Amino acid sequence: MLPRIILVSALLAAGPASAQWFHVTTPGIPRTPDGKPNLTAPTPRGPDGKPLLNGIWQMNGKYLQNIAADMKPEDVPYQPWAEQLFQARQNGALGKTDPAARCIPGMPKLDALPYPFKIIETPGMVMMLFEGFTTFRQIFTDGRELPKDPNPAWFGYSVGKWEGDDWVVNTIGIKESTWLDNAGRPHSDALHLIERFQRRDFGHMDILLTIDDPKAYTKPWTVKEDLRLIPDTELLEYVCVENEKDYGHLVGK
Amino acid sequence: MIMRIIAAVALLTGAASAQWLTTKTPNVPRTADGKPNLTAPAPRLADGKPDLSGIWNPNPKYVRDIAVDLKPGEVPMQPWAEAVFKERLAGLHSYEEPDANCLPQGVPKLDTAPAPWKLIQVPGQVVILYEAFTQFRQIFLDGRKLPVDPNPIWLGYSVGHWDGDTLVVESNGFNGKAWLDQVGHPTTEKLRVTEKYRRTDFGHMQIEITIDDPGAYTKPWTVKEGPTLLVDSELLEFVCSENEQDVKHMGTKK
Repeated sequence: MLPRIILVSALLAAGPASAQWFHVTTPGIPRTPDGKPNLTAPTPRGPDGKPLLNGIWQMNGKYLQNIAADMKPEDVPYQPWAEQLFQARQNGALGKTDPAARCIPGMPKLDALPYPFKIIETPGMVMMLFEGFTTFRQIFTDGRELPKDPNPAWFGYSVGKWEGDDWVVNTIGIKESTWLDNAGRPHSDALHLIERFQRRDFGHMDILLTIDDPKAYTKPWTVKEDLRLIPDTELLEYVCVENEKDYGHLVGK
Repeated sequence: MIMRIIAAVALLTGAASAQWLTTKTPNVPRTADGKPNLTAPAPRLADGKPDLSGIWNPNPKYVRDIAVDLKPGEVPMQPWAEAVFKERLAGLHSYEEPDANCLPQGVPKLDTAPAPWKLIQVPGQVVILYEAFTQFRQIFLDGRKLPVDPNPIWLGYSVGHWDGDTLVVESNGFNGKAWLDQVGHPTTEKLRVTEKYRRTDFGHMQIEITIDDPGAYTKPWTVKEGPTLLVDSELLEFVCSENEQDVKHMGTKK
């Protein structure tokens, strides 16, 4: 995983400095008298009283490497085959088999990339625009049901609904070759992801992510990932395939 | 280009087994038998501006040659650009085409990529979600100006404004690596693109595209394209890097 870490550090450090629209004033943000965003102001709400999720968000980077970073290792309820595969992938031993190493994004790692994403709510559909891979998710809120026998996709199929102040996104149909994290936790074609978006205040949000995959784990398990709002900036372009030099240094088949 | 045609066929077979392809699009005027009435008037938003939103399907002939409707010689290429274009037209560089290497098509080729795109209007911006490579583009309508000395990128920087019922999108900051089409009309970092989007009726859009690139062309030139609305469907996932087998069959390195 060393090349990936180098790539991330270099991009984060070098990209923004020369990019454009990196300093815009995001409208609608509460500010302190000196003009700084007040990120602990109350959660904004729409006319229906539900929290607004719009904004540019960045996840705590540790979950990309290890989705179970806040758990005791023995608390991840692996099925035996899943634990064996996870162990086999340890320390980058099978790095080449991670689709992301070939510039293929997938869920659930997409949410955990160390680059920001923008949430835009529209009637019937919520968009997530990801700086990482310059790609997007559509989460449908028009009442449609999840497909019954979906054609497996890297991002799966997602529908969202409100439960109190939680925006709950259910996703199925994810290709089984994606990894849950860079550490290599696997999943099966039975994976059902449940993301509960909880905006705590203006500048902070949690995603309670439940991994429900009875073929790979003996019971559903949940992690809490924290995000912060990134005000007064804009997404940059990120094209993974351009001048990609990592893959040749990764090991595995 | 045969490989690309095969790739397009693969897209068709993908569609058959995909999901949410028979979703009923809401707010579509329909005839008595339930079919979409694509010649009904263009819809408008509450503020009176045309509602351009929807899934639009490009006419695929423009991805092959953006100037297909122009007469030979009407693309005002500078000598070096014409020389490059002729070599690319002969297939000598097809393995270098960014699109074939899963690199972004750039603007305006993305408008013509033979896969649909979804346009969404939200306050302050327009977002276009492209099935092609599952990419997106943001067009800002919040009054910001184009950047003065932009970091060059594939999709550039785009701002829009309304001119009557026409959405005028201006873009700069391109990296000069994109081809305007498969036959290989070149671009440089001096490229500026103006796209004028006008929804002529419910099911039809006209896009007038002006290529202003003093690095490659002697004067600005303009083409027109006309995507049609795709109703009762949804974008599919299109991940170019997955099992890509085309490029090794394309052209030969000199």
